Amino acid sequence: MTVSSNIDRSLRAQLVQPSSGRLESIVFFLITFALVASTAAYVLLKAKQEGPPPLLSWQVSSFDGLSEVDQAIHSALLPAADEIIWANNDTGRWPSIAELQDTLLPPFYEDNFWQVNGEVQWQVIMPGANKTGEVAPPPPPQSNNGLASFVAPNAVYQGTLGQGTASYYGSGGKAPGQSAYLIVIGHAHSGVYWINQATLWIHKDPNAPFPDILKPEGLVARGWRQIIPYNGASEVERVKGISNG
Amino acid sequence: MVNRLIQQVWVALLALLMGLSSTWAASPTTGALTLKGKMKVGVTLHPYYSFVSNIVGDRAEVIALIDAESNPHNYQPQPNDMKRAMTFDTLVVNGIGHDEWAFEIVKAAGRKDNLPLIYANASVALIPIGGDQGNAKVVNPHTFVSTSAAIQQIFEIARRLGELDPANAAYYRTNASAYAARIRRLRADFMTRFAKLDLSAFRCATMHAGYDYLMQEFGLKISAVIEPRHGVTPTARQLANTIDAIRKVDVRVLFAEKYFANGLSKPIETATGVKMYSLSHISGGPYTADKFEVEMKENLDTLAEAIDYTAHHPKGG
Repeated sequence: MTVSSNIDRSLRAQLVQPSSGRLESIVFFLITFALVASTAAYVLLKAKQEGPPPLLSWQVSSFDGLSEVDQAIHSALLPAADEIIWANNDTGRWPSIAELQDTLLPPFYEDNFWQVNGEVQWQVIMPGANKTGEVAPPPPPQSNNGLASFVAPNAVYQGTLGQGTASYYGSGGKAPGQSAYLIVIGHAHSGVYWINQATLWIHKDPNAPFPDILKPEGLVARGWRQIIPYNGASEVERVKGISNG
Repeated sequence: MVNRLIQQVWVALLALLMGLSSTWAASPTTGALTLKGKMKVGVTLHPYYSFVSNIVGDRAEVIALIDAESNPHNYQPQPNDMKRAMTFDTLVVNGIGHDEWAFEIVKAAGRKDNLPLIYANASVALIPIGGDQGNAKVVNPHTFVSTSAAIQQIFEIARRLGELDPANAAYYRTNASAYAARIRRLRADFMTRFAKLDLSAFRCATMHAGYDYLMQEFGLKISAVIEPRHGVTPTARQLANTIDAIRKVDVRVLFAEKYFANGLSKPIETATGVKMYSLSHISGGPYTADKFEVEMKENLDTLAEAIDYTAHHPKGG
């Protein structure tokens, strides 16, 4: 009798309610979901903001899109463009090729670098310049009703006039893989003042003529491609996803 | 051990106090610093010490982040580096792979969010490491072993220093122009000497991938690089492949490092018959204002000597 009573007592089931009210599974699920969702969001957003923008069809990277000789000339042209702009800021005029050579500035200075890299012939084209003078101004139209009969003297004049654009044009290079080169220096609006800004272009034909228009769409239509410098700012942006320019 | 712990606690407390004082606060509109006395400009590498010293003259203090005799290729940050970083108003960095340790130091010093960094290479067009890198295009961070890219960095540093310290901006730019003119004269003098030399037989290899910018600006090409990656010793297979490449393209000279001796250069010289020369990476010895010019001139003299050797010692000669 005593034994049976003990067995009954030991088999009795007792339901113990969890103090959290059975919320562990829900909380665990929510935390897991939040972790997975936040990790996925971080990865997706991070991937979107890293790296410099992709190149457009008419652009070429200075890092892996140029021939050896073009890359060497670009490496010299990029700092040269800065110095040309600074000279203009200081003096109000654009330095001539002879002046650039006097300051020993590559790629204009005719040294071993110039010889090894094709002996490119450089010209500076001022805004509104009549570069060659070979094309005589055409006669004014007869039916202009007395309006101003201003006529551009040649294509180069048209290409530079009114665009506020100076350019340095290099052609006739003789090295294998050589292109023609163009520094286009225009005015860009930055905040409340105007600044000079240079873009560099190449044409696969080393003897490509000076373009009759220096606006990007005109250059692209004439086979010129813009060189996008892969510089330290691009590398930092690629590796660290931050802009330091 | 105890001393090190005390030092670390002291560094942390100092960082907290200096952070609270916010003496590095930059103007939210102009980026100019609110300076109390001379600007303190930190630099990570020897060439940047020379560049900044010549730009700022006596109007700012130039402080090297790490000790002069440290090897920047495999550097491990030290507590003293953090103490120095705490005092800077700005820090000039290479930023493209040659001084990654600087970012660890800045972070450890509690300056990650309040120390303006000047990325010297922000506007320098980068080129890949020369030689056979397994068809990979790897950015070469040694822009400071050159003249043209050095000048570009000098102007970038001067521009940024002028933004941080507008009162001296014109002075910095004038000094930068004069310094750049001296470096360009150095290049031109060498070019004059260079023009008399026969380049047709010049084919070189380098132990370290540090000289692509230098060679490019003189129209020279590197045929092989011994180190497979920056500061990494090659495996036996990689070394055998490089020796084959040296023989195949008839490399005549091998440029080793002045400051970082590599035990492989002598065996390669013996195995291939190349003539060995040493170039300076400009990353060792004391920090001085004229170091860049002195060591770059040495490099150009060495380069001319090597070209002269190849001109007078044709294959099998």
